[in-house]
Amino acid sequence: MSGTLASPGAASAAGPEPRGLTARSLNEDVLRLIGRPGPVWIVAFVLDLVVLLIGALALRNEIVLGLGVGGWTRPVMWATYITNFVFWVGIAHCGTLVSAILFLFRSHFRRAVYRVAEAMTVFAVLTAGLFPLLHVGRPWFGYWLFPYPSQRGLWPNFRSPLEWDVFAVSTYLTLSAIFFLVGLIPDVAVARERVENPVLRGLYRLMSAGWTGSNRQWRHFYGAYLYFAALCTPLVLSVHSVVSWDFAMAQVPGWHNTIFAPYFVAGAIFSGVALVINLLIVIRRAFRLEHLVTLEHMEKLAKLVLLTSTIVGYSYLSEIFMAWFGPSDAERDLFLSRYFGHFWWATWTMFTCNVILPLLLWFKPVRRSMPALFVLMLFVNLGMWFERFVIIVTSLARPFEPYTWGVNYRISWTEIAVTAGAFAWFFLFFLVFVRVLPAFSITEIKETLPVPRRRQP
Amino acid sequence: MSAPGGGTEAARGRTHRGVMGVFTYVDDAEAAIRALRQAGHRDLQVFSAVPYHELERALEQPPSPVRWICLAGGIAGLVGGFALCIGTVLWWPLVTGGKELVSLPPFVVIGYESMILLGGLFNLIGLLLLARLPQRRSPAPYDPRFGEDRIGVWVPGAGAAASRAGQLLAGNGADEVQHHA
Repeated sequence: MSGTLASPGAASAAGPEPRGLTARSLNEDVLRLIGRPGPVWIVAFVLDLVVLLIGALALRNEIVLGLGVGGWTRPVMWATYITNFVFWVGIAHCGTLVSAILFLFRSHFRRAVYRVAEAMTVFAVLTAGLFPLLHVGRPWFGYWLFPYPSQRGLWPNFRSPLEWDVFAVSTYLTLSAIFFLVGLIPDVAVARERVENPVLRGLYRLMSAGWTGSNRQWRHFYGAYLYFAALCTPLVLSVHSVVSWDFAMAQVPGWHNTIFAPYFVAGAIFSGVALVINLLIVIRRAFRLEHLVTLEHMEKLAKLVLLTSTIVGYSYLSEIFMAWFGPSDAERDLFLSRYFGHFWWATWTMFTCNVILPLLLWFKPVRRSMPALFVLMLFVNLGMWFERFVIIVTSLARPFEPYTWGVNYRISWTEIAVTAGAFAWFFLFFLVFVRVLPAFSITEIKETLPVPRRRQP
Repeated sequence: MSAPGGGTEAARGRTHRGVMGVFTYVDDAEAAIRALRQAGHRDLQVFSAVPYHELERALEQPPSPVRWICLAGGIAGLVGGFALCIGTVLWWPLVTGGKELVSLPPFVVIGYESMILLGGLFNLIGLLLLARLPQRRSPAPYDPRFGEDRIGVWVPGAGAAASRAGQLLAGNGADEVQHHA
């Protein structure tokens, strides 16, 4: 038990606590999600499979016919796939923020929402990891990205930011999956004792590894959990910094900028929290869990979106200022082109969704209205997808050599189908997750309940 | 009493010898642990749905040594990351972009990520080893109520010592005292 950051019951004074819960009813509330799916879930699952199939067919088309069907046009050789990669890595960041960083900061409101965020992290990294493989054209040679002693003695170029990315993203996937699975152990042990389905029971027995909640287990569990959090915190900050350096290390106008690392990290948390809000709104409504994930929880997440929106907005304005104030004509020209050129619509979609619309979150009624928050968070993620599109495509479409400026990239149907398929891939994992594993942390929410004492201190 | 995941311990041919006290209140369990330790019982096992500081203090548990295993992994990762970069560029000296072969600043990223990766993996291994996971057999009779809202205090032993332990558990507010022989 050593290493526990807060004694049970300590949260009540520090943050919102779920209402009207007892230790027993909490088990029932959370485990109620597991089991036989209803018609809405089945319809969502089938639709998801259909979209995934369309994406898979588009991908098959591209592998057979070549990368040309992917809409690449010189000089825009990084387009939607890398946009999707950065978008999904960004989405992943919220989970680690909520589960690790807020754990270290003893922010107790995270307890009710972190499992959903953590699951989202793992599934988002799994989705992000697809795109560099698709982008290289021959995904079956993806293992060439990793260092291994080959017959030819060749090794990856460790001075390349793209290789840094391989290390950063694969480390992130490994640690976020471990953090997620370790955090599940006490909860699946509870589920193990209750579930009747033999397949699920076998799964929980495997995942719980014989957990009994003994003092020895708790002692080392929280000792290790603290260090997982301590390791994941610098990791999450480094991963999107490294992703940003894929761009910032190049001298392409619009990319070669020292603000990129914090700008990308803030944007990642911004979009990730927005998607967590969307998912939580659906789950708490579908399973009637408003007493578990309260309006206070949702409002705190909305404030996090507002905070990161201001950082993202500051970054946009800072980029514009530096282009105007700095010595580079190419940079100045690029920003004029970005906001008033061929892709003006993408840039203004980005700016409107990420800077202007989130200003509504200054108003408490908006933060506490679930329909308003849901729609607003959809716009935030639309804007964040376009942010990555703008950074990648507009910069590549306006390089130093003016003779290439006339060639304008157009998104292809293959890219649209693969992008939609990636969303379906992500939601496929998520739909299965809410029906198979405890989507809320029984243990951590239980820690927010009053400690059962015969004699009150 | 059942084994974790179903089936009784007796049905599996496994028996435990000792006394299990089942408590509702943390302060009762804490008082029982202190009394048992004063009576010379040092190998107690406590089961609960969440960790409680009160019980941790009563058991006088030191911090988990898993942090040293994690530190060892972090150091191994940091050294290994730099060694991988430096070793491979020296093994196959291929100049790219006119840069130094051994370019330490870019290698910092690989060293840093490797440090976190191995630190995390060692942390996991440390947790599994120290918590003795996965375990097929619980060190005490397991009750699914311990995953809900009850606290179990297990005192291994038999005979007169077990009887005295049972009295101490009952005297400190245990809802149930179960003797396993």
